Amino acid sequence: MSFQMMLMQLAGGMVKSISIFAWTLIFSLPLGLIVSFGRMSSNKLLGGVVKFYISVMRGTPLMLQLLVVYFGPYYLFKMHIGGAYRFIAIILGFSVNYAAYFAEIFRSGIESMPKGQYEAAQILGYSKNQTFFKIILPQVVKRILPAITNEVITLVKDTSLAFSLAYLEMFSITKQIAAKETTFVPFIVAGLFYYIFNFVVAMVMENLENRMKYYK
Amino acid sequence: MKKFAAVLMSVIMVASLAGCGSSSASKAASGSAPSSGAASSKNASASANKSSANTENMSDKKKFVVGFDAEYPPYGYMDDDGQYVGFDLDLAQAVCDMEGWELVKTPIDWDSKDMELNSGSIDCIWSGFTINGRESDYQWTQPYVDNSQVMVVSDDSGISSLADLKGKTVGVQSASAALTLLQDPKGQKDLADTFAKLQEFGDYNSAFVELQSGSIDAVAMDVGVANYQLKSRGEGYKILDEALNTEQYGVGFKKGNTELCDIVNADLTKLAGDGTVAKLADKYGISDLVCLKAK
Repeated sequence: MSFQMMLMQLAGGMVKSISIFAWTLIFSLPLGLIVSFGRMSSNKLLGGVVKFYISVMRGTPLMLQLLVVYFGPYYLFKMHIGGAYRFIAIILGFSVNYAAYFAEIFRSGIESMPKGQYEAAQILGYSKNQTFFKIILPQVVKRILPAITNEVITLVKDTSLAFSLAYLEMFSITKQIAAKETTFVPFIVAGLFYYIFNFVVAMVMENLENRMKYYK
Repeated sequence: MKKFAAVLMSVIMVASLAGCGSSSASKAASGSAPSSGAASSKNASASANKSSANTENMSDKKKFVVGFDAEYPPYGYMDDDGQYVGFDLDLAQAVCDMEGWELVKTPIDWDSKDMELNSGSIDCIWSGFTINGRESDYQWTQPYVDNSQVMVVSDDSGISSLADLKGKTVGVQSASAALTLLQDPKGQKDLADTFAKLQEFGDYNSAFVELQSGSIDAVAMDVGVANYQLKSRGEGYKILDEALNTEQYGVGFKKGNTELCDIVNADLTKLAGDGTVAKLADKYGISDLVCLKAK
């Protein structure tokens, strides 16, 4: 296999890795925010359930969770799986897992806001919703961006776990080319691909951080 | 909140931009090299078919989903054009051509093969799949390859027989037939007990690097795979004359799926009769291993 061909194959795999990455972010970030509300809820039952969910998501390997999400419906309900469900299961597994991590990051941000701001907003006549979305959340986003960047970069590398569901993202393809060519070269190239993509992600996030340095 | 949306949007945009980049790269490449370009576009349409396998039932063609290990040359692997080929896959294609089925090649994670098969994600495992020791676990076709498990050692290791492996570290692929054999009291467990250590590894690249660096002394593997590895890696290795066993490859269907199994089985006989099997065996250099011959 020529080097150019290898690059093309890996680039094709990278597109699939990135689609896992993008879809996971689209679902897990909003879900994480909702979960963080549940975690901070004054309702003890809801708070307990969410706490348990987060504990399971953080306490078991993501690869295991992916296997459960994909093969679970068959073994539990004898449902037909395969075809398009492979990708859906991957996005579902990743999103539900990452939402748990994002929820804790959101919570740390939201709980770090001084109580005085809520009181001031109330006196100024802001409703609860207005207070949260117009005053609290923008500050929270500024504070948690570095922590979010950490998770996002981890997500890029975690996409390689999709190989356990036989989804041909970049790392699966790398292993296949390495097996065919009997060399380690594809792994080095794959490492470069991951690094370059994460470099771009980190740059974008840093840029965002800088743009959010208003009031400073 | 707007800024937050901006974060999300920019991430997605970066993602989609990266997507554009690579697809235009493949376009450019197909423009410059017509032969590989045709192959890659064929490949693209094949993968498109796969992704819409469930949504698109326009064609009446029955789909035959073959699960295989794509890291298992010469039986199933990615070729120079990025297509999945190999003796097993070409044979599966020949069966599909006879039956008018559409072959769906699904590379699977070998450790999850049983889950893939039992859940119906794949119709069969066709991937240099050893029958011996698994007779009652799957619905088998007739055997088509006479395989044996062999030991690969470095030329300069001074190991020339299985007895020389006493006190040595031996590598074996996890979940492989060789591992089962070395752990089976009726198989080669007695031999394995003389080793200092039985080291499991994930892929053959790692195993050969460890063999080269001397951290393991021998690697157990299928003879067909060993031939491919030695041919591809050049000098420095040899296969011990003594084999660990002899065994046979078959196509494994889910237990009880006799209907599909019988069709494929009958087709294999026909393909042996018309010389297709022999031709493919010659193409992949395993002629002396194929046991499915014209009667």
